[in-house]
Amino acid sequence: MKFLSWCLGVFVSAWAGQYVLAFFLPNIIMEALYQRGGDANSYNSMVVAPSPDETARSVVRPSPDLSYASCIYNLGAGPLRIEAPVPERYWSMQFYQMNTDNYGGITNQRDEQNRVGTIVNVTLIGPDSNPADYSGEVVQSPTQRGIVLLRSSNIGDDRESEDALVQSRCGPVVAG
Amino acid sequence: MKLFSWLFTAVLVVLLACVLLARTISAGFGAMGVQNGDWVTNVSAGSADAGVMLRATVAVGGLLASTREDSIYYRLNNVAGEPLRLNCRYRITGNDYDADWWSITAYGWDNFLIPNRLKRYAFNNENISRREDGSWVIHLSAEEQSENWLPTGPAGAPAWRQVTNYDFDLLLRLYTPGRAYIETPVSAPLPKVTLEGCS
Repeated sequence: MKFLSWCLGVFVSAWAGQYVLAFFLPNIIMEALYQRGGDANSYNSMVVAPSPDETARSVVRPSPDLSYASCIYNLGAGPLRIEAPVPERYWSMQFYQMNTDNYGGITNQRDEQNRVGTIVNVTLIGPDSNPADYSGEVVQSPTQRGIVLLRSSNIGDDRESEDALVQSRCGPVVAG
Repeated sequence: MKLFSWLFTAVLVVLLACVLLARTISAGFGAMGVQNGDWVTNVSAGSADAGVMLRATVAVGGLLASTREDSIYYRLNNVAGEPLRLNCRYRITGNDYDADWWSITAYGWDNFLIPNRLKRYAFNNENISRREDGSWVIHLSAEEQSENWLPTGPAGAPAWRQVTNYDFDLLLRLYTPGRAYIETPVSAPLPKVTLEGCS
């Protein structure tokens, strides 16, 4: 009887424990990506990734039809300005917090104002900042750290897509 | 002795919890998703609505997924209940879909692109060869085929790490999807995958 109770206790604890592990897992995986990406390149700057192929193994399921650029950010020293020219084909700027949630996004397909030829200009502020203190397009990150990911379709002639990503910037807001 | 007993129980609980979690995650969206034929999706992937298990599944098998307004992902790892195998040939048939663009990509069981001589990992609505009526057929196999051949092959990760019952899977991406995919993903039109034969 005592052994059966022990077995039941172990199983119930493990069953509940998997949810505890699942709760922390996204943060652990994002933390690893954050540290690896930031150490390999730098924080608060836009980095264009090579075209995805079988050697691209830093993030699961890369799309071979997309070019990517990312800014691994830390808003501890203040807000960031993200500038990105918009190409003709599919393009998006997505914002991720450290639990992997995609908390915001801009795309040239859904948003009429972000069409080819325009430059998207976003001020990315931290969770404790007041959006009313900033002008223009403001995105508030729920966490101090996270990742901004640019996706650009490389279907067909991929030069425009590559150029748009190369010309994109991520850096501290300069007063003035 | 009592301390050892507690330690042993704690380690056992953690190990068992890891196994249970791995089992859920390896099932992918299947356990918590929306089934449309053999394809499975989850409309909460990437969003703040995602539950604890879905968020963990996405973190392992689809990190940095976008929310459904930007893109919808349908995944397929079996045909009529039979896991996708390297020794089998498959036929994918379809047409055009209500989205800004779509693509079908083959991934190894390790969630990365499959190494192959042609460096061909996907077909999309522009690079696919079509019939006169606009429909198309993709041939999915390890052996080379004449037209629209999407190569399969061993994943890049060592085989001993494989914990899935399938050798590879397919991911259909629909970018800026139409209303049917957002509102009724269970019945929206999708490509059909059939098994042609196994060696």
